[in-house]
Amino acid sequence: MYRYIYILIFSVLVVCCSQHSFAQVNGTTVTGYPTVPDTLVVINSNATDSNAHIKKKDLAGHQLAIGVDLVSPITNALVSDKFGYEFEADYYLRNEFYLVAEGGWGGSNVNYTDLKYTTTNPFFRFGFNKTMLVRDNPKDWDMMLIGLRLGYANINKNPATYLITDSTWGNVSGSRPGTSINAVWLEVTGGMRVEFIKNVFAGWNIRGKFMMDGKSFANDAPLFIAGYGKGDKNAVFDFNLYISYAIRWDRKNMASAKPKR
Amino acid sequence: MTKRAAIIWAISCLVWASCTQQRQPCLTPKIASLILETMHITNDTGTIFVDTALPSGTFIPFTDSSSFRITSLLSSTFTISLSPDAATCRWAIATDTTSTVFDTLTFHYKTNLQFLSNACGYADFYNLDTVQTTHKFIDSVRIINSTVNNNVNTKHVQVYIHPDF
Repeated sequence: MYRYIYILIFSVLVVCCSQHSFAQVNGTTVTGYPTVPDTLVVINSNATDSNAHIKKKDLAGHQLAIGVDLVSPITNALVSDKFGYEFEADYYLRNEFYLVAEGGWGGSNVNYTDLKYTTTNPFFRFGFNKTMLVRDNPKDWDMMLIGLRLGYANINKNPATYLITDSTWGNVSGSRPGTSINAVWLEVTGGMRVEFIKNVFAGWNIRGKFMMDGKSFANDAPLFIAGYGKGDKNAVFDFNLYISYAIRWDRKNMASAKPKR
Repeated sequence: MTKRAAIIWAISCLVWASCTQQRQPCLTPKIASLILETMHITNDTGTIFVDTALPSGTFIPFTDSSSFRITSLLSSTFTISLSPDAATCRWAIATDTTSTVFDTLTFHYKTNLQFLSNACGYADFYNLDTVQTTHKFIDSVRIINSTVNNNVNTKHVQVYIHPDF
């Protein structure tokens, strides 16, 4: 349990530190290129210098990006014992924070000589991304991101058949009834995303996934949990390649923020 | 841009290769082992000590295949298994391969099917209830650990050889 708390604290610290350091860079000139301030400073004339009120306004507008994972279909074509499909959507909140929802489904087909069963499961992940890149301008949506997710999957494990090889007393075979397993995990993610065509992004994520309460199904762990990975591991790493399409609105703010040349 | 794309693809291939590994090898024992320890009680003092005097201890299971036997030279520790298909099984024991004197150990137990892992599959573990013996050269038996699983370092039953043997 402490491991998860440490991961959570570490992630929050990283996010807070990055926000603090980038706040000092905003509004300055970096490497000779003029930057567009993304803050509007309003000074109350009735106030003294010491209690000047600074109000920030985010000029980036709204963005909803919907994407699909490209690794899953490639893996499905090359591997016979598991399959999965994965989608993601993120919505820009403010201060370079994105609300993220991911989901999909998949399963596994275990067909060994001594163990046979199949599983299927949908999965959902919710969390946030924080981009570490400073915007060149409000239209700049490229990201180098870190994020945190909470994942959930309901695994339907169908009846299993088994064979126990015993050279002394003879082999024993049998079956086990199907079960329904709930899995909850925490993810720390990092990656990048680049808008290579207008409104179309390509990017990758690396994920560290940590199963919470994995002992509850350790005696019946499925080979593969779609959205998580190997079901009998308490910590796994994963990789996604996403291609996304972005929908944007509230363009008035973006137009007014065009740099003067 | 080309260099960045190459790096991304290299990382993708590495991760994909690591994820497409075939079934992992099973690194744990798949058969539960019942470990016996032969002991000796001296007549005069009653001191117990581990008996290493079995010249060639032999164990033969009561199964359809009569040719199977376990023999260990100059050993006091023997590893046998229990029948997963029954609640009782019997082993014949002799102190030497040339001996015609056999005692019989009868084990009564409960079977628990256990999922080891996807690499190893299922195994049968056991809970020993009682152990019965004949008394040609065995004085008595004692269960010291009733849980029989794939832990090969736990001794389960002590077999006391008769003081006069």
